[in-house]
Amino acid sequence: MEELMQILEELRPDVDFANETALITNGVLDSFDIVALVGELNDAFDIEIKPNNLVPENFNSAEAMMKLIEQLQDE
Amino acid sequence: METSILNRLDKTAGAYAEKMMFKDEASGITFGEFNRLTKAVGTFIANKVPCGSPVAVMSGRHVLTPACFLGAVRAGCFYAPMDGDMPKARLNQIIGVIKADFMLVDRAHLETAQSLDFQGEIAVFEDICDTAPDDALLAQREATLGCTSPLYVIFTSGSTGVPKGVITSHQSLMCYIDAVAKVLSIDDTDVFGNQSPLDYIAAVRDIYFPISFGASTYIIPKNEFAVPAALFETLNREKITALCWSVAGVELPAKLGAFDIGKPEYLKKLCFSGSVMPCKYLKIWQEHLPDVLYVNQYGPTEATASCTYYVVKEKVTDDTVLPIGKPYDNYKVTLLNEDNTATPAGSTGEICVSGPILALGYYGNAEQTAKSFIQNPLNDNYRELIYKTGDLGHFDEDGVLHFHGRKDRQIKHLGHRIELGEIEETAKKIPGVTDCCALYYKEKATLYLFYTGEAASKQIVLYFRQNMPAFMVPRKLISLDSLPTLPNGKTDMQTLKTYFK
Repeated sequence: MEELMQILEELRPDVDFANETALITNGVLDSFDIVALVGELNDAFDIEIKPNNLVPENFNSAEAMMKLIEQLQDE
Repeated sequence: METSILNRLDKTAGAYAEKMMFKDEASGITFGEFNRLTKAVGTFIANKVPCGSPVAVMSGRHVLTPACFLGAVRAGCFYAPMDGDMPKARLNQIIGVIKADFMLVDRAHLETAQSLDFQGEIAVFEDICDTAPDDALLAQREATLGCTSPLYVIFTSGSTGVPKGVITSHQSLMCYIDAVAKVLSIDDTDVFGNQSPLDYIAAVRDIYFPISFGASTYIIPKNEFAVPAALFETLNREKITALCWSVAGVELPAKLGAFDIGKPEYLKKLCFSGSVMPCKYLKIWQEHLPDVLYVNQYGPTEATASCTYYVVKEKVTDDTVLPIGKPYDNYKVTLLNEDNTATPAGSTGEICVSGPILALGYYGNAEQTAKSFIQNPLNDNYRELIYKTGDLGHFDEDGVLHFHGRKDRQIKHLGHRIELGEIEETAKKIPGVTDCCALYYKEKATLYLFYTGEAASKQIVLYFRQNMPAFMVPRKLISLDSLPTLPNGKTDMQTLKTYFK
């Protein structure tokens, strides 16, 4: 989780990732943030985020992203 | 000859009164209703300001926004769209340049509008959209418009740190729209999927194809671009036939793997512009949609959106570099050398544009206008203004133009045009930044800022987020003890580029 928070913090230091729960739904992260983020997460956690994973529920909060990462690491 | 875009709106509003014109996630608006709204808003505005006045418009990503624009035009005025999501400091800069006495907003942006340094009157669209139209007054206002009257002022990055307002006339816009429509064979059966922010130059096609030809436009919700499955679902549900997107927008679905899930079944035409297309992404589009017409466009806002086009006939590969093609109807392209002499056939020179599509200049900035729009140095017989784009190119033996980058430090990032100098001017205003250099790592589409001083990188990003549009915020910040220099004392950018990763 710490590593994820560090990546998010570096990507958008102006966003409160610890408390935000509607990052996509409310448009806090835009499509270009997502493209950059997917690349970084794939590299950092050795996973492959698929287009089907790119739904708001998986990216609306840091916690949801962590869950997705763990799920993909198990596969 | 048409005197203004209103000639077209009157025609299509009559011919397609019941047809859907604009649609968004929540609602839709017919040609008839659209036209009624422009007259209501136009009447209200005409009672507030004289004809020929700028009208600032701050309205969201929905069907009423184009009605705000055309409402201003009905009043014999021109509009200056502003993106309410931009930081206040940026909006205040724009207000300082346009100096409007009247601002039209949607209800959602009222609070933002009131918090700005705006001295004039603010009206809310929802409050005035039932104003009874005063046909005599509107006719009087329309009669003041000629084809060279300004239609809108759209702002773009300026290297001195102040945005420049490019003024486009009715004639320029109509010349451009007709030229593109001819290449794309646009008619009333086309349905566009709008990607560009409505306040941005790239949206003029999505707004004026309906007005000119009876086509329709669906305004795609912004967050769907982050969710590839939802994006293609929308294109199919709305039976979208044509897309005029930024290159960055065309890349997105290919990058995010959207074609693994589905494809836009109804799409017939895709035209893209804004930056150089990396063909590894276009290849993915072509593989899944081989029968679509792909058109590469090139051109600056100063020449009304785009000035040349190239129809992609070949199957592209990862390394294909697309030409920027031939000038559109009514556009003339001349290449000039550094010393303003004619560039010999086949050689590279600065791309210069002339014709009725040239902007009227930069709003309230005669000095910058005189510098960029000059008498064609190859013509000493009559008045012929050209715009020097700052882009380099060469014509091949078939008269097809190829692009070779910039002669200055302007870049294209995420479909937007940015002066690296403006990033540096902004960074220098931050306490704790002594010196800095902004560079663009094109391969990774990443904006770098190298700086000296004790400022923390987080502090710098926060300052940019509060003062600049999101696309102008540096993504990578690198703190150095000193910037490397060349023997002549200038910053050594080549050495800085070795930090790219």
